[in-house]
Amino acid sequence: MCGFCLVGLIFVTSCSQRNNPNVASTNEGRITIGTTQKPRTLDPADAYELRSIALIRNLSDRLYTYDPGSTVLKPQLATALPTVSSDGLTYTIPIRQGVVFHDGTPFDAAAMAFSLQRFIQNKGKPSSLLSDRIATVAATAAYELTIKLKKPFTALPSVLAFPGTCAVSPKAYKIGKNLFEANTFVGTGPYQLQEYGTDRVKLTAFDRYWGAKPLNRGVNIQIFNNNSANLYNSFRTGAVDVAFQALEPDQVKSLEAGAKAGKWQSIAIDGSVTSYLILNVLQQPLDNPLVRQALAALVDRPTINERVLYGQGNPLYSILPSTFSVSQPGFKTAYGDGNIAKARQLLTQAGFSPQNPAKIQIWYPSGSTNRRLTAGFLRAYAKQKLGGILEIEPNTIESASFFKYASKNIYPATLQDWYPDFLDPDNFVQPFLECPKGSVAKGCEDGSSQSQGSFYYSDRMNQLIAAQGKEADPTKRKQIYADIQTLIQQDVPLIPLWQTKDFVFAKKGMSGIAIDPLQNLLYSSMKK
Amino acid sequence: MSRSKTLQYYLAARLLLAPLMLWTIVTLVFFLLKATPGDPADAFLGNRASEDVKAELRKQLGLDRPIYVQYFSYLFNLLQGDFGKSITSSGKEVLDVIRENFPATLELAIGSMLVAFIVGVTVGTISASRPGTISEVGGRLFGIISYSLPIFWVGMLLQLLFAVQLNIFPLGGRFPANLTPPIKITGLYTIDSLLHFDLASFFVSLHHLALPCLTLGVLLSGIFERIVRVNLKQSMKAEYVEAARARGIPEQRILIAHALKNAMIPVITVLGLTTASLLGGAVLTEVTFSWPGLASQLYEAISNRDYPTVQGIMVFFAAIVVIASIAIDLINAWIDPRIKY
Repeated sequence: MCGFCLVGLIFVTSCSQRNNPNVASTNEGRITIGTTQKPRTLDPADAYELRSIALIRNLSDRLYTYDPGSTVLKPQLATALPTVSSDGLTYTIPIRQGVVFHDGTPFDAAAMAFSLQRFIQNKGKPSSLLSDRIATVAATAAYELTIKLKKPFTALPSVLAFPGTCAVSPKAYKIGKNLFEANTFVGTGPYQLQEYGTDRVKLTAFDRYWGAKPLNRGVNIQIFNNNSANLYNSFRTGAVDVAFQALEPDQVKSLEAGAKAGKWQSIAIDGSVTSYLILNVLQQPLDNPLVRQALAALVDRPTINERVLYGQGNPLYSILPSTFSVSQPGFKTAYGDGNIAKARQLLTQAGFSPQNPAKIQIWYPSGSTNRRLTAGFLRAYAKQKLGGILEIEPNTIESASFFKYASKNIYPATLQDWYPDFLDPDNFVQPFLECPKGSVAKGCEDGSSQSQGSFYYSDRMNQLIAAQGKEADPTKRKQIYADIQTLIQQDVPLIPLWQTKDFVFAKKGMSGIAIDPLQNLLYSSMKK
Repeated sequence: MSRSKTLQYYLAARLLLAPLMLWTIVTLVFFLLKATPGDPADAFLGNRASEDVKAELRKQLGLDRPIYVQYFSYLFNLLQGDFGKSITSSGKEVLDVIRENFPATLELAIGSMLVAFIVGVTVGTISASRPGTISEVGGRLFGIISYSLPIFWVGMLLQLLFAVQLNIFPLGGRFPANLTPPIKITGLYTIDSLLHFDLASFFVSLHHLALPCLTLGVLLSGIFERIVRVNLKQSMKAEYVEAARARGIPEQRILIAHALKNAMIPVITVLGLTTASLLGGAVLTEVTFSWPGLASQLYEAISNRDYPTVQGIMVFFAAIVVIASIAIDLINAWIDPRIKY
């Protein structure tokens, strides 16, 4: 009897919730976004992953920003691009007037200086983005900020577009090691934080926002932590208005088919996230450049894009994504795609044969479907096309363990993704190729290429990286990047594979769906 | 020595042993975590920072100290009730992490156990009361099949059927994102909404609780079904049952009022232990239904090598199990006068 009562109660409940007018009235003018990305923290001085940054991006403003679809910096809390001293060390930035924080505190240069100092001194996860480069930051007038660098760095304005470098209210935050506020946010952005729960976030339009007001009353974010199936089905059933990150390729494919059939909208934008095969130049047989070049010739990007990504990426032929005008598809020119004859010729030249095959392990962090499929594809492709002269063995390991060992000369080759912190070619080149300490014989002993697992060392590359960091002339900078890309093609410490596309799915009738070049969905332009 | 005295001594002994059990678990978890490759710096910074930056983060988190220093420092703080700060959640107190996430796990556990108990006892009773019939066979099959089916698979199938195709239940979550949950008193949305006399919120919470509870509850009911069926059949053969039949008491009344009571003693034990283990978090259920409970938080903390959070949650779970097992022993002793400790 109790069981029947319970079941009855549940079904009465379910029927009563299907057409609840209260739901419609509280939701009017608000957008419901579904995502699997649960924010770790709302403190911009400690947020370094996409899931937290995405939220902070919409709650805040920073000195500079990007419009959707553009990689051109535009001032936001600054009123103009900085004036740079002749030695490249001092940046003077004019600050916007008439801005207030969500708690009513007026924004000025002192508040911006506080925010940047806090970003550096609280020693959060992303602090090195500024602490490695900035010597001092101070308000030199009520609406003038001056930043002094440790060494010239022309990409500083791009770094100041990183969402975590946003302005935060000096009344709500403190400077001090590890003094973070994980559950709250007080900034100047178009939205205020209304609610921050374990599986939900609510933002409400800030009525005193200085800029263009959001086209909606607010945003409700439903978090399906690590469960893309729930996100997928929630969107299909109309439980959420927008679905963004992170859906599996087959789910994206299915939703795209639905969009083509007119059930909803699909918006695809070229992203800046890149995928590489990193080659350890210290380990046999990859210590032989011919073997690395052979791998570069073997890789068939269009087929990988079709079979692994279902066409949801773009083949990448340079360390730099096509987002940058300086990107040159050098790997396509030098090696092509699936160039079996060249791969076989290079391997034979290196002394390998079907009786004495080159054996390469490719490692990747577990939990990544794309990388698992890519590694499997490369193994099968090599086996099928090269007649046994090359054997590829995929291996996987849990993520934290993977990154622990990446710099320890354990892995011969790894599949890694790269999410840029800021939109400058420097952020694609320096983190992979710079090596202040090492030699050609011993490889990189201490530097970025050691951290990434290639152990690549080149004096020439170090010089080029240093030069691009301080070169302000765009023409000269372009030439430096051309030289960098040429050197990578010759030495092949890594092989570029693909560049992502970002997909947003939205109900019909919704407009203003936009993603910025740093993969952040922008809430304020959305309307239904 | 009287029975109540022996019970008191037993309780005292168990309570004295509890700290030792907790210390063992804390120590095991601490060293097992440290033995796992990778640390928070690797987990959080991945390939986005140099070794120098990672070393700085390790220094900040105190991970550069000798392991025995870290261990005793942690124990010392734990004895003062300081579970430490979460590395994942930017310095939030671990106790706050537990406080925020445990109510969801508790609500799911209570709901699931209610369903499991009701369904399991009902099916088990029907099955035992009709020996040699299709009802008994059905009950046996139900017990085996329900217990052996994987929760995530059943959960996904039920989601597809009830949430996607029939649109009867929501897919997951505790409360819709477009509504405001009831103001927190206990953290259990169903209870809090009743305490606020907010029937609308109560039904919304129940609506979201229904599918995960029914899924987990039905799958767990197999345990109760088997125990009730076996013990009830045993009880029905007892002499007091024969005597009751001889006195002309109806079979139904004998079954429910006499035999079932005795058959329930092992059920209480299993109920308590299963609830304790569910309070430890049904991680597969929580992930399948996007239920923001403590188990999924623990899973994330392990992936992030968030040592304080993992250790804190494990101590919390261990304490629950210890308390639950003591409570079960006491309840059993109370309801069954034959039990002596």
